[in-house]
Amino acid sequence: MRYFRIFVLHFQQAFENRGRSFIWLLLAVINPLLVLSYWIGVYHSQNGGIAGWALSSVTSYYFLLMFAGSFLIAHVEYDVAVHDIQEGGLVKYLLKPFSYFWYYFLGELPWRMIQGLFSLTILFIFSLFLGKFVQLVSTPELILAAIIISLLGFILSFIFKMILGFTAFWLTDFHGVQSIFEIIILVFAGFVMPLEFYPALIEGIAKVLPFAYMVYYPVIALQGKLDLVSLLQVVGMQLVWIFAFLAVYKLMWSKGVRSFTGVGQ
Amino acid sequence: MIISIDHLSKYYQIHKKEPGFIGSLKSLVARKYETVKAVDDISFSISEGEVVGFIGPNGAGKTTTLKCLSGLLYPTKGKVEVLGFTPFDRKSQFLKQISLVMGQKNQLWWDLPAMDTFLLNKEIYEIESEKFDQVVEDLATRLLVKDILHVPVRKLSLGQRMKMELIAALIHSPKVLFLDEPTIGLDVVMQRTIREFLREYNQAYKASIILTSHYMGDVEALCKRVIVINFGKILYDGLLSDLVKEHAPYKIIKVVFSDKVENKKLESYGETRRFGFPEWEVRIKQKDANDVAARILKHLPVEDINIEDPEIEDVIAGFFVANKK
Repeated sequence: MRYFRIFVLHFQQAFENRGRSFIWLLLAVINPLLVLSYWIGVYHSQNGGIAGWALSSVTSYYFLLMFAGSFLIAHVEYDVAVHDIQEGGLVKYLLKPFSYFWYYFLGELPWRMIQGLFSLTILFIFSLFLGKFVQLVSTPELILAAIIISLLGFILSFIFKMILGFTAFWLTDFHGVQSIFEIIILVFAGFVMPLEFYPALIEGIAKVLPFAYMVYYPVIALQGKLDLVSLLQVVGMQLVWIFAFLAVYKLMWSKGVRSFTGVGQ
Repeated sequence: MIISIDHLSKYYQIHKKEPGFIGSLKSLVARKYETVKAVDDISFSISEGEVVGFIGPNGAGKTTTLKCLSGLLYPTKGKVEVLGFTPFDRKSQFLKQISLVMGQKNQLWWDLPAMDTFLLNKEIYEIESEKFDQVVEDLATRLLVKDILHVPVRKLSLGQRMKMELIAALIHSPKVLFLDEPTIGLDVVMQRTIREFLREYNQAYKASIILTSHYMGDVEALCKRVIVINFGKILYDGLLSDLVKEHAPYKIIKVVFSDKVENKKLESYGETRRFGFPEWEVRIKQKDANDVAARILKHLPVEDINIEDPEIEDVIAGFFVANKK
């Protein structure tokens, strides 16, 4: 109950800032729509699909990417690195008898939910007018698996972004680190295009790295492109990465807090 | 003892770089580090309900000590114990009994009323509803902020925000309170209100308080005992009144003249601190103060005369000068 009440208070705070949520949502919506317009052009200039993807699959992919970008990708790294570690705001969390991890998790969840809700509304409107271009998973067990994969995708992205923020314990130029990983996520999580469109080698690398499990697999699971066996494999990989990241998180936290001096305080 | 520090040291490694491009290149190849002793082998202890002023110039080691005491910093050497806990372990039971207030930093949610932050802290510190209501009521009444508890923080003045910060920091009724410059940036009226409040809090909740402040008024109003620190070392630990007696064994006589007086005539009385007709301030040895005052009254055209203790700021400044590295 305590965790729930803390979540509700954070939800209230995020809801108070719904204007900010809307701006972030626009960011998550504009990029996929721009790329989608490019692909529609490509499909019109040639006959047949690309890498076995029909046009309706590609449009569904990018519409769902809007949702995934706003709901599944956590944006905690900047606050952790700059506000907390570099500017010393971490002090106030260290003094509280509550876990930093859970504080951020319960604080980030409402933001994702509000933005996810906004993007679901947009998705619903699109599907009303462009029905055949929005294909979603329809069988109950696949829907359930897709939801589980989405939630695990969010947890994975959350822990990864916390770890990314922790690099500021040792590195002074966090902006550089952040920019590099933004590009990596853009490419390997499937924001640029479906991974099947890449050359085989890059596709192979992308499927081993954790980023595809944050966005790409949840999206194609929601599209209904994965059978039950593949879905279970994805869940397995997600759990492997989550546990690996948790171990890294623990290590970085214990070492980082020891080196933390609370400058700016 | 509520707090005990035994030979505590905290050193930092600081990377040194020569100026300019060549300096940058050199630092790339061979980085030079220097060890800064922020706190160097200090020991003291504090009992329940005691209010101790921790004073020293910027960079003396005050905040570093407070951070070691509250569990934010891992000591390089020595032993620290607060309420029977080792602070750096940051055990829940320890954190629930302490609070650190830093005048320059805040924990309040900016867009929501302060009450929402208090409610968040209620959950974090696992305070029962009844106790929470009672403490909020008590603290808000003492600080005269009951009517603005539901106003968004961004609409409050600096002084009002500081009061709310104090409530947020005290909502769990901590037994040990570390205050780092709690009145910084506040006007004199607000400074006085906060001092009054802290005094009342200390008495009502029997809390031990360590206070650092550049405003000697804070220290004078609240602390009988002071610990003076500079260059990471303790220079003095004892009663503030003794420090003044030992290091400022003089009085200030302030005179307002009714008629012009020649400068030369004043030299024989003592060391003039300030003279601009009609006002004159002279520094006199403590034991001679009454005699000198009598002589002044007898030989000079006096309209008004006062014998005062030296300003605490002057005493401390004089103490630091005398103890320069």
